[in-house]
Amino acid sequence: METCFDVKNIDLFYGDKQALKDVNMEIYKNRVTAFIGPSGCGKSTFIRCLNRMNDLIEGCKVSGEIIKDGLDIYSPKQDIVDLRTRVGMVFQKPNPFPMSIYDNIAYGPRCQGLKDKKKLDEIVTTSLKQVALYDEVADRLGDSAIGLSGGQQQRLCIARCIAMSPEVILMDEPTSALDPISTSKIEDLCLELKKDYTIVIVTHNMQQAARISDYTAFFLLGEVVEMDETDTIFSHPKDKRTENYITGRFG
Amino acid sequence: MNRLVKDNILKGITYIASALSVIVLAAILWYLVSNGLSLISSDLIVGDYYATTENAAISNDYIYDESAIGEYTGEGYYSAKWGIALEDITTAHNDEEISVVYVDPNSPFMHMNSLVSGEDGMALSLTEGSSIQNIYYLDEAGETVFLSRVKMADAQNTIAVLDANATGIVSINYESIGGGIRGSIFATLYLIGISLLISLPIGISSAIYLHEYASKNKINSLIRQGIDTLTGVPSIVYGLMGVTVLFPVTQLAGATSTSILLGGLTLAIMLLPTIIRSTEEALIVVPQSLRDGSLSLGATKSQTIFKVVLPCAVNGILTGVLLGIGRVIGESAALVYTTSTVINDNPTILSQGTSLSLMIWSIMSGEQPNYELASAISLIILVIVFAINFIVKIIGKRLAKSFV
Repeated sequence: METCFDVKNIDLFYGDKQALKDVNMEIYKNRVTAFIGPSGCGKSTFIRCLNRMNDLIEGCKVSGEIIKDGLDIYSPKQDIVDLRTRVGMVFQKPNPFPMSIYDNIAYGPRCQGLKDKKKLDEIVTTSLKQVALYDEVADRLGDSAIGLSGGQQQRLCIARCIAMSPEVILMDEPTSALDPISTSKIEDLCLELKKDYTIVIVTHNMQQAARISDYTAFFLLGEVVEMDETDTIFSHPKDKRTENYITGRFG
Repeated sequence: MNRLVKDNILKGITYIASALSVIVLAAILWYLVSNGLSLISSDLIVGDYYATTENAAISNDYIYDESAIGEYTGEGYYSAKWGIALEDITTAHNDEEISVVYVDPNSPFMHMNSLVSGEDGMALSLTEGSSIQNIYYLDEAGETVFLSRVKMADAQNTIAVLDANATGIVSINYESIGGGIRGSIFATLYLIGISLLISLPIGISSAIYLHEYASKNKINSLIRQGIDTLTGVPSIVYGLMGVTVLFPVTQLAGATSTSILLGGLTLAIMLLPTIIRSTEEALIVVPQSLRDGSLSLGATKSQTIFKVVLPCAVNGILTGVLLGIGRVIGESAALVYTTSTVINDNPTILSQGTSLSLMIWSIMSGEQPNYELASAISLIILVIVFAINFIVKIIGKRLAKSFV
């Protein structure tokens, strides 16, 4: 099994407040890794470290290493824009751009300088097909993406991410704003996508983690309490705190 | 019960307050319309402000033929003999004049040569709207008779005298109408163009810097505070700054005196805080999640700003443009020193001139304030503001549509 991210001793501070404490883990290629834990435990903060979205937050300082393809992504040699083309992200709330469906998906490739209409058409079609949205919107690609339902918008955002053909897709609570039907569609999608992509997903929903992930990490107060194969975590957690959380005794 | 009464009193106060503002607005509009509407005509809008005097003689190769002169059934007193119709008018300058309403194509007044030195011999024809000052005609004995303005008295008498006594026309002295505002309209448009051309790119760029790039440090908060302070600086101070600081800049462009360019530059600086502020407000409203989405797709910061953030903010920016245009049209104090208060009928960017608002000031500060013309100009300013408002809104909708 190949390692995608090798995380070593990550500490993260927002100003004086420490949000992540000595996080170590390995994230494997073509697997779904889930982060669970109560609100404010640092799981979203950590997932945003993996494509350096935390750089946008003022007063955020990161120390430690995250090795990807032999290079620490926090080293000055790392091209951040290039990193983000390889590590895509889907956010908690669907955030389609106020453009047409087509333009939304073509946005990333266009930013990379792709202008060939044929290639763009092909990328848009395959991306939409991969997220099973193509049949629903094929006849209105020129319509505004804002007119789509919440679940469709979120799948569009995933398609937009796939259009960049990244290696990794980070999903930060992608279903928390969606209804159960849309949620199950996205979960199916995750299982489908892991053939081609490495998926890291933050979720509040433990059943969701159990259903779709291969590995699960339990975060608490900025620390990774336990990380293991999902089956092991949910059946034989080693740490008492993990057991309390997944059996619903707190959090 | 007590609470209900209190509620109704508060409600009443808000009703009265809003009614009051509507009444005041309506009163202003009513005043302007009742005073100025009668003056508004195409002559006012396209005409010169200064009347020019022409002195012209009937050209030598014109052969008078009374039967060639046609009929006329419009307004005024018509002389079928000489092919000219006259009426009595009161000009924008409050003078009583005898005005030409119609000239037949075969009338001698259509075939004249200028007697004014410099333009000597240039072909001229009497234009409708001109006012006649005096006429030299030939009587039956073949003597030249001088018909002065006083002897003409009014339109009816002039036509009667010409019909009864004249056997030929020698020359005529007439004035073009004047009181027009064309020059000031152009000067206003120049000012709007120059000031927006300069302040928009600078203002939008500064707003982008302040909101998208600047970190929250002391220098940047100082800049922000400075911009807020600039909003409150009286415009006459901007005018002073313009004439002392910016005049050398316009000299480089070839200006020898105060000029519309200088006024435009001054207004551009005056508009900067408005445009920066409104653009920044528009940028604040753009959700952070869109920026995150764009960046997470590997777009650079500038791609994110130009492809996602600015298009979302375009309506807010247009609001700033609108406020800016309104301020340019309404500004007079900052222009007194920078464009001068000399009304110019044919302004160029490097010449002096007045904007419409400043023209009102010029007209009203003379010995005989001209309320009617001032009201007419105010009405035209209102119409321009409405028109620009409308156009900018349509552009906003178009832009929003093309973005969807």
